[in-house]
Amino acid sequence: MQKNNNTKPVISLKGLHKEFKTLNRREGLKGGLLDLFSRNYKTVKAVNGLSFDIQPGEIVGLLGPNGAGKSTAIKMMSGVLKPSGGEILVNGVIPYNNRIKNAQNIGVVFGQRSQLWWALPLVESLKLLKDIYMIEDKHYNQMFDLYKTILGASESENGGEECRLDSLLKKPVRQMSLGQRTLSDILASFLHNPKVVFLDEPTIGLDVMMKAKIRELVLELNRIRNTTVILTTHDIGDVDALCERVIIIDKGAILYDNSLDNLKSFFGAYRTLKIKYNKDEEWVDFLINEDESSVMDKLAEIEKTNKIADIKIEEISTESVIKKIYEGEVKSS
Amino acid sequence: MKIKKYTTILRAGMLDMFQWRMSLFITFLGNIVYLVVIYNLWQAIYASSPYDTVNGMTFTDTMLYLVLAMTIFNMTETYVVGSMGRHIQDGSMILNLIKPMEYRTITFFEILGADIISFCMIFVPTFIIVSIITGFAIPLGVNLLLFLPALLFARVISYYIDFFVGTICLYTESTWGINMAKEVLVLLMSGAVIPLAFFPDWLRQVAEFLPFQAIYNIPLQIMLGQVTTFETLPMFGVQLFWIGVMYVISGVFWKQSIKTITINGG
Repeated sequence: MQKNNNTKPVISLKGLHKEFKTLNRREGLKGGLLDLFSRNYKTVKAVNGLSFDIQPGEIVGLLGPNGAGKSTAIKMMSGVLKPSGGEILVNGVIPYNNRIKNAQNIGVVFGQRSQLWWALPLVESLKLLKDIYMIEDKHYNQMFDLYKTILGASESENGGEECRLDSLLKKPVRQMSLGQRTLSDILASFLHNPKVVFLDEPTIGLDVMMKAKIRELVLELNRIRNTTVILTTHDIGDVDALCERVIIIDKGAILYDNSLDNLKSFFGAYRTLKIKYNKDEEWVDFLINEDESSVMDKLAEIEKTNKIADIKIEEISTESVIKKIYEGEVKSS
Repeated sequence: MKIKKYTTILRAGMLDMFQWRMSLFITFLGNIVYLVVIYNLWQAIYASSPYDTVNGMTFTDTMLYLVLAMTIFNMTETYVVGSMGRHIQDGSMILNLIKPMEYRTITFFEILGADIISFCMIFVPTFIIVSIITGFAIPLGVNLLLFLPALLFARVISYYIDFFVGTICLYTESTWGINMAKEVLVLLMSGAVIPLAFFPDWLRQVAEFLPFQAIYNIPLQIMLGQVTTFETLPMFGVQLFWIGVMYVISGVFWKQSIKTITINGG
């Protein structure tokens, strides 16, 4: 499901492949010694035939278990890695062949790394980026005003100081909290008004307040500047708050590519029935696919053999749907 | 506006250097200690010789040469290889590759910025102290003016060599051993620990065909007034030649290598 089917996609992948050669290291001291003389490489397919189109202004969640090939895909889209096969177009250019031109049109945030100058106050880093990306004064000031409105607006309810632009600006990056640093990195990545921003696990290791702040910031920037956002995350809260569309990949291939609503309704036939046999006992879970048997049938079946003290019925969460897809329990079409 | 990209990174390198003022101070002190050691060592060497001039250099010449060489060493042999190695090992290289500039260019201007600070904070004070100790043996004239471009060119050559060596780390993923090997080779073959004039003929000839002597020997000979103004022109020629050669070699090597890399982490 893509909105605006008539517009040109901002990112387009066709049968993208990436293979790595990795060294099979032998175990132990003797193995290490043998490795010095003869090496045994194996080929790993990190990305294996990835195809999708992304329209301007979309926020797409790129999900998958660790090692699924998400980061490799992002590195190819940002022009850092050369694909082994297939086609990519980002803003109409092939990223790897035009790395510098492509870099001008994208922004990247890695939740575990900072692109800011470690020892310098944030404002100096932003000034540097202004010159590196050749941002015009007018646009730079506009972005500053925008940041001020977004970060200043909910100052009172979000504990003020921590996220306010003026207090961030003067602080050297190395003295920032992880949350402040991530926030700053996001500000930096949107500064040159890129068409696409890649957020690679932006909320990793952050507290609830900071996560909320970051989601709010990304959502606002996407709304106001119509920036396309590709988000990888393991936090389903991020997906629920930001993404309309999710692409789930595993072992380098797509498992699911559709809207988030669809993901839930598609698997909505699943419900969890929770039963307590005795008041003091723990809840016992039964996962029920209502297409096959109803909750009532199951209850009746249990009641034949057991006394039931209490029951609860829960809708399945996005998280458990995704977990099921990872585990290969349910096949999406 | 294109030039602004570069000056702005240069400025960041300078700002960054100021964050480490203790390190600047200690490097300066280290130079003074080195001066004392060199003074005593070479005094002994000259004392054992029947002549005041050994291999065309007086005691003062030699001392000036070595102390200033060490000062240039502290300034130029910075952390290019080390920081490239770190960027490669911890995967932060990717942050440089997503910027709309060449990595080699970004790093160069960052380092040049740091160099300008260490020139002012380390080289100039050491120069003044050495001048006073030797009773103003360094001629204060056009040689100093010619020294500045020679030093800049030397810096560019040494940067490209470092960048080349740093690129090797893409394959080995470790830097320490390679960097040590490089430093020993550079220090010896450039005449930074023993002036080239003291080399046996054959070794000096080898050294003269290598780029390393263009880093220390050329700027120092110019500064110490060992060559006439007219003679400096071919020296600049040699330096520019090596800049050209190393620019191409390090650029091609990097472009080829970056294709094969896998970026660590994530």
